[in-house]
Amino acid sequence: MESDIKLAFDILAFTSVMVLIVLGLGVIAGMMGIFNFAHGEFVLLGAYTLFVFHERALPLWLGIVAAPLVLALVGLVLERAVIGRFYANPIMAMLGTFATGLVIREVIRGLLGGHYKAIPEPASGVISFGGVDFPVWRAVIIGTTTIVILASWFFLARTSMGLRIRGALENPMLARACGISTARLYTITFAFGSALAGLAGALIVPLYGLSADIGIRFLVQAFLSVMLGGVGSFQGPVLGASLVGGMAAGLPWLVYPVLADPLVFIIALAIVKFRPQGLIGKGRL
Amino acid sequence: MRDALERLRNAVVARPPGESDLVPVQQVGASGRSPSKRRGVHRPLRMLPLIELAVLAIMVAAPLVLNERAELITLITNIAILSLLAISFDLCWGFSGIMTFGQALFFGVPGYVIALIGRDLGLSQIWLTLPLAMIVGLSFAFVVALFLLLGRRPTPIFIALGTLTGSYAAERLVSGWQYVGAGNGLSAIKLLQVGSHELVEGTEFYALACIILLVVYLGARALVRSQFGLVLAGMRQNEERLDFFGYRVQIFKVLVFSLAGMISGLAGALYGYHQGFIGPGNMGPGLSTQAVIYCLLGGSGTLIGPVIGTAVIEILTYVLADIDSIRQFWPVFLGLLLLGIILFQPSGILGMVVSARERIGSYGSRRKGARQPG
Repeated sequence: MESDIKLAFDILAFTSVMVLIVLGLGVIAGMMGIFNFAHGEFVLLGAYTLFVFHERALPLWLGIVAAPLVLALVGLVLERAVIGRFYANPIMAMLGTFATGLVIREVIRGLLGGHYKAIPEPASGVISFGGVDFPVWRAVIIGTTTIVILASWFFLARTSMGLRIRGALENPMLARACGISTARLYTITFAFGSALAGLAGALIVPLYGLSADIGIRFLVQAFLSVMLGGVGSFQGPVLGASLVGGMAAGLPWLVYPVLADPLVFIIALAIVKFRPQGLIGKGRL
Repeated sequence: MRDALERLRNAVVARPPGESDLVPVQQVGASGRSPSKRRGVHRPLRMLPLIELAVLAIMVAAPLVLNERAELITLITNIAILSLLAISFDLCWGFSGIMTFGQALFFGVPGYVIALIGRDLGLSQIWLTLPLAMIVGLSFAFVVALFLLLGRRPTPIFIALGTLTGSYAAERLVSGWQYVGAGNGLSAIKLLQVGSHELVEGTEFYALACIILLVVYLGARALVRSQFGLVLAGMRQNEERLDFFGYRVQIFKVLVFSLAGMISGLAGALYGYHQGFIGPGNMGPGLSTQAVIYCLLGGSGTLIGPVIGTAVIEILTYVLADIDSIRQFWPVFLGLLLLGIILFQPSGILGMVVSARERIGSYGSRRKGARQPG
């Protein structure tokens, strides 16, 4: 019983982090038609930010707050300098973002010196509730993610800025004709998506440990989630992330752990293959 | 709300990969003939054959010059082997517009297969194992292609992601599998045998790698310059139009992808025999990325480009490996290089000396009585 609850909690924590990553990826893909192959490295950068705070013996909480801000800045600069050039050509954009990701990954690998680093949980220990122990940090992850998702939804669905973003998503040409600067919106959206990835990286790294290659893993999982859920809606990627996250966290308990990771990928790819429009076809924000 | 996948799909139709497709497909077939038919028309100097001959000359001369230095012979053998991988990536991306981020998958898996049959069955006869590696590469790539490329017009993003995922998943799987050596890979691979003679690394192995590279190169050259190549050129320029002409575009893609897998498999087997080692990294995204860099640096859409790109990067890596301060950030530099090429020089090194028209070239055999242009 207790182990079941712990497992459910693990799955939930992992899933919520996936949702954060996928939300950023999905919004960028839906809005600009760019599939950002550097997104996994944004997660890595977020994790690295927390690691720097840990190294300098600064409070880790500050690191969690700083990670999304740092990544928003990185996203802003990258969008202006590199990504913005690719909007006209999504195929070259895949290559371009892939190269960008490669640069980030190798810089971090150089900085880490190829080592594997562990970062302690900012809040360790357990909360006992009804006779069952809940790990605090996982609870924090789930809580933070829920708040961020609700805030994102509120931002997109209830503010005028959100309305403009949705307008640009739906019909960029018409939005431009109405006097909305889509170029600015793209920059903001890209920075927003990057910030979400950074936050996700900072939240997850105490559970996983930091190495330069975690980016690829998250990238692959996040991409599969986006395609699984369907591009362009808010719920689609969230649903996809829940599925992939749930499988990734749950399957190692059912099958031989070495097989679990590839199996998740194969199942997700197969679903995408036979339902290319995603589980939720065309949704609305 | 517009579906981003749909938009990407439209973008493929509107905008072909790379630069090499500036000439509309109808003119492609004629462009090779017109200059020679009409007198007085300035015939541009053909650079590609010169470059090909120069590279061939260097390949032949290299072992004579470097005879004394064993480690340099190893280096050039490596270049020849990795060139095969780069060419196979180029066949997919440069010639057919299939974005594969996992070409190393068809390099590593056959490499493992020949390492295993060497270990468990004691077989390493060249006439048996190299064809076997090719068959493994071919059939594995064929299965992957059936899944990724056939069906309801898969989007480029699905193909790119599928290949990347396959490569990543395979690396993870192999590094956790004790039977194939887990994270340590398989070392002390049985030496390649010709009859009872064992091929160790050195000039002999270099000669073998070069001959294979030459054969593959000529084969690929014939392929992309044939009518089949013309279909590929049309396909990467406007897939939908080719569809309407009645070509089953996806079948062509599957064929090219499988052939590229075969070449990669050959390269993987040679690599295993040459290094005496094959590890999970040889099928992962790392090596796949390297293939992308080789090809784009040299010039995608040409066959000699990937060879030149491989040589440039491998030689630089070798030279700079001794300098500690550079070595650490060499991969970063490679990434920046890739980004720079994509942004500023999509046609690579060759694009600086070879015109777009010549890179696209002509197709099929020149028959007498072919239609007069104009």
